[in-house]
Amino acid sequence: MGLLQELIFGLVTGSYIAIAAIGFTLIYGIVNMINFAYGEYLTLGAFIGFLAANALPGPLPVAVIAAMIGGGITSIILARGFFTPINQTGPVPMLLTSIGLGIALRNAIRLVGGRSARYIETETSTFRFDAIPEIPVGSVDLLGGFFITSEHIIVIASAVIVFAAVHLLLTRTDVGIAMRAMGDDESLARVRGIDTQLIRDSVWVLAGVLAGLAGVLMAIQTNVSADTGYSHILQILSAAILGGAGSPYGAIIGAYVIGLVLAVSTAFLPSSMTGLSSAMAFVILIAVLLVKPSGIAGSEVREA
Amino acid sequence: MNVRDRLPSGHGDRALIAGVVCILVGALFALTPLRVQLPSAFYVFVEVGILFVIYGMLVLGLDLQYGHTGLVNFGHVVFFAVGAYATAMLSAQDSFAGIALAYPWPLGLVAGVIAAAILGAAVSLTSIRLRGDFLAIVTLATAEIFHSLFVNFEDIFGGNVGILGVPRPIAAVVSDGDTRLAATLLVLGGITLLTLAAVTRLTDAPYGRVLRAIRADELVTRSVGKSTITYKTQSFVYGAALAGLAGGLFALYNGAVAPGFFTIQVTVTVWIGMLLGGAANHRAVLAGLAIIMGLRLISRFALDVTPVSSDVFASMRLIVVGLILVAVIRYRPAGIWGDPQELGVDQ
Amino acid sequence: MSSDITERVNRRSFLTVTGGAGIAGLSGCVGFGGGEESGDGEDGSDGESGDDDGGSDGGSSNGGPDTIVFGQPGALSGSFDFLQPGVSQAADAAVNHINEAGGPLGAELELVRRDTGVDPQEARTVTTQMIENDDAAAIVGLFSSEINPLWDYLQELQTPVVTPWPGSTFLDTRGGDKGTPDDVSDDEWVWRTVVGDTVHTAGSAVYALEEEFETLGIINGNTEGERSYVDGFLSVYEENGGSVAERVEVELGSSSYQSALSRLFDADFDAFLVSMPQESAITALSDWSDGGYGRQPILSDTLAQQAVIDQVGSDLHGAWVASPGRSGPSYDTFEGIYTEEGDAEINGWTPPSWDAVQVTALAIERAGEATPEAIQQNLGPVSRGEGTAVSTFAEGKEALANGEEITYEGAATPVDFTEHGNVFGSVTISTAEEGGFVETTEVTAEDVREYVAEGEY
Repeated sequence: MGLLQELIFGLVTGSYIAIAAIGFTLIYGIVNMINFAYGEYLTLGAFIGFLAANALPGPLPVAVIAAMIGGGITSIILARGFFTPINQTGPVPMLLTSIGLGIALRNAIRLVGGRSARYIETETSTFRFDAIPEIPVGSVDLLGGFFITSEHIIVIASAVIVFAAVHLLLTRTDVGIAMRAMGDDESLARVRGIDTQLIRDSVWVLAGVLAGLAGVLMAIQTNVSADTGYSHILQILSAAILGGAGSPYGAIIGAYVIGLVLAVSTAFLPSSMTGLSSAMAFVILIAVLLVKPSGIAGSEVREA
Repeated sequence: MNVRDRLPSGHGDRALIAGVVCILVGALFALTPLRVQLPSAFYVFVEVGILFVIYGMLVLGLDLQYGHTGLVNFGHVVFFAVGAYATAMLSAQDSFAGIALAYPWPLGLVAGVIAAAILGAAVSLTSIRLRGDFLAIVTLATAEIFHSLFVNFEDIFGGNVGILGVPRPIAAVVSDGDTRLAATLLVLGGITLLTLAAVTRLTDAPYGRVLRAIRADELVTRSVGKSTITYKTQSFVYGAALAGLAGGLFALYNGAVAPGFFTIQVTVTVWIGMLLGGAANHRAVLAGLAIIMGLRLISRFALDVTPVSSDVFASMRLIVVGLILVAVIRYRPAGIWGDPQELGVDQ
Repeated sequence: MSSDITERVNRRSFLTVTGGAGIAGLSGCVGFGGGEESGDGEDGSDGESGDDDGGSDGGSSNGGPDTIVFGQPGALSGSFDFLQPGVSQAADAAVNHINEAGGPLGAELELVRRDTGVDPQEARTVTTQMIENDDAAAIVGLFSSEINPLWDYLQELQTPVVTPWPGSTFLDTRGGDKGTPDDVSDDEWVWRTVVGDTVHTAGSAVYALEEEFETLGIINGNTEGERSYVDGFLSVYEENGGSVAERVEVELGSSSYQSALSRLFDADFDAFLVSMPQESAITALSDWSDGGYGRQPILSDTLAQQAVIDQVGSDLHGAWVASPGRSGPSYDTFEGIYTEEGDAEINGWTPPSWDAVQVTALAIERAGEATPEAIQQNLGPVSRGEGTAVSTFAEGKEALANGEEITYEGAATPVDFTEHGNVFGSVTISTAEEGGFVETTEVTAEDVREYVAEGEY
């Protein structure tokens, strides 16, 4: 297998993380909190998708859409119940609240959903491209034959659609433009007559929709259990920070950097160190922050 | 502003005396035939109490970093772990896996403190200039990296089994179980009280005022001619060294270290304890830690009075712990004994 | 400033009062060695509720305790929680069965189950709580990753831990009564009713060599159970002529294992060994199937589950797995009682959980008292050597009442505890087919024994 194949694997992993990281970073930028319960939003999306896939007659996309709608509704309800009332207390109390909420949600899901993993049934086809010439450099092939599965294509395509939709939302709609304004300077946005609470609510819904999508995509690839989202929260967080906290475009770049590092380090680290691939992602994170403290796409270093 | 909490010069001295007394009484039990009898129902509380005084050193160090200087360290467990592993690897007699050098344990303990301090210095040298929340991420990432290293390199760190066969100085001189528990609690509790005395001295001194000034407004502090980076680095290294001490003592108390003892849960616990009690107040953070650890323990006993199966109860218990945390923050965002004004939290 | 001084005085007086009270309280329970032996009995052993007088007469009804408690630390939350329902149900079924048969010493057997989340620190708290507050006479749980770092502590507790979980090679030479049941001074208080990795992986390795798979690729999780499995497998496999072409360790719970697989299959080998927990293994094997990598899969014992075949699909047909744990002489008896209790799926640790409760209860019955020490002394005698073979507590209680010696024949294994508190069992080779895993052959316990040196297990 060549480097090309690893790049595809990295793109797939990066796509899951990217979809989730956009939602995470929007909350970070606009509500000004690190939401540690976000992994549980993914899990909820996965469960809703699983239930919808079994209960609704339609094809899988129906379940995916149900998970997105369900994710958005859950997100705004949780935000109204737990985060909006303490909006004014600053980032640290909100972060702690999200830790508490995360513990409660994770165990509530375990209580209701049970312990064993569930699976969403899918058919996968594999497409092979073996005729690609190899360009060996040392022991590494730069190209080489590769394969891609229908699941991979769906995941990458979903991510691309999400990026386009988020881009249009942020640049072409009033709500999106207001979101960006609020991310830059909340008080200035308020002076300009923007209803900041409405914008915050919109961000919560959007983040919930994205979490639902990412959760159900992860569930299709792996499984549905109480820890589905929790096990990915550190990767999502790293992607968001790596890209430049608060920047959706940065989060996308950060997610793909992490995805590629995970793939390439598993493939090329010495044999005794293959278990270290996620540690490698963190090493990259630290290295980037040291070189460019604002993250890849961050423009300024705000004093927090 | 609360004058009493600003000038608590007596608290440090009292903690010093209490700490020395505790250690002496503990040593008395350890070295003489004098012995203690504990009702067996208390054992579990003493066990958790010992863990509490060890975590107490962690929370005091963390509070020095966050409460007094405003440094957000979200990987505090890594300094605890490095101190524990360094102590364990140097002093272990014979481990199932990993390095065991069988040096005398005091050497191991000193090495543990130094190792944690060096790591703290390395992290702060590279990252202390970063924005607060980015420092949080760097420390969090550092903790995850070290956790992976401990798990991955079996020949060095013993993998998931960890380092076994670490000497246990107190257990070595006390054979009676009850007395051993009491002596351990007293000696470790005494060390925590000494730590409390030391950090109180430090923060009551003009030095502490500089730290709090940095927290309140770094720019202004710099403009009056203080090298804020130096102060921040020192504060961070002190906190890391304290965590290393706690880790070394933990290894010498437990007789083994393993990655399972050093998960992100430890960081979460001490953070919750600190913020629950009220950052920037040494006794409050200890009290907050006692509340969260006590809550986790006491809630275990509720199984006997709840009419649900143990499976359901296990989930219910954690849901309740999570919601109580949410509720406390909702109604006391600056912590139970915290000063909202000082912490810059609007109510 | 003046308010500060008054405050300080107030606090000092407060401190004096509390301190004084504390010292007074402390002095109530401080004494010199040997001075208060009688007090010791009152304080220390109220847990064993009356067994002092019930112990010596060896009878089963009069004078014995009313209830006897076993503690079961469990993974009610945490990364292995999906295995717990089967283990819990087996333990509950065993307890109900024992109580229906009259209970040990005529007492009501009670099982207290508490959550450790597979965290050693929590496990320490829970074990203490069970022994000191719940008055548990024995512990019938605990994982490798809890036992190993708490080893010294568990020895100090002096309470037998009879656990269905740990496969770790760490326990190969640790635990048991060292072949001297009466003398507890050399004992290590851990017993396991599940076959250690060293043994059942030997069965798998022998079979692989017989099938002429001489080189191997390995993919395994970086957790203790998975590593220990592979290490056990390799020690027999490599000693008997097999070689390893490539080994890839992975983190569990990833969303994809494609990179690890592409690395693994770059190497040249006849078959590949997969040692991962079920959920991650399904992800990895689905990736393997999608990638069309082929070659012969050898699965670790935990993967002999219908769900694995269902999720991975027909590519997996022909994969084989060597599993212990379902080959005990009284597996059928167990299965009958188990399925009446509920519908949790049986996994590799389910029958050992049943065995742990049964054999511990039989030890109490034989001892005539329910103290931890008496249980420790009788675990060997009720499991080893000659005597009336019994498959359940009910049969054992009857045989003991007739004055016979017994030997418990378990559901997972024959439960003949070695001197280090381990058990041997035959290993069943099953092959994945359309409808599930089908038994193809069996490596007997005697054959497996040949590969494990005497005294080292």
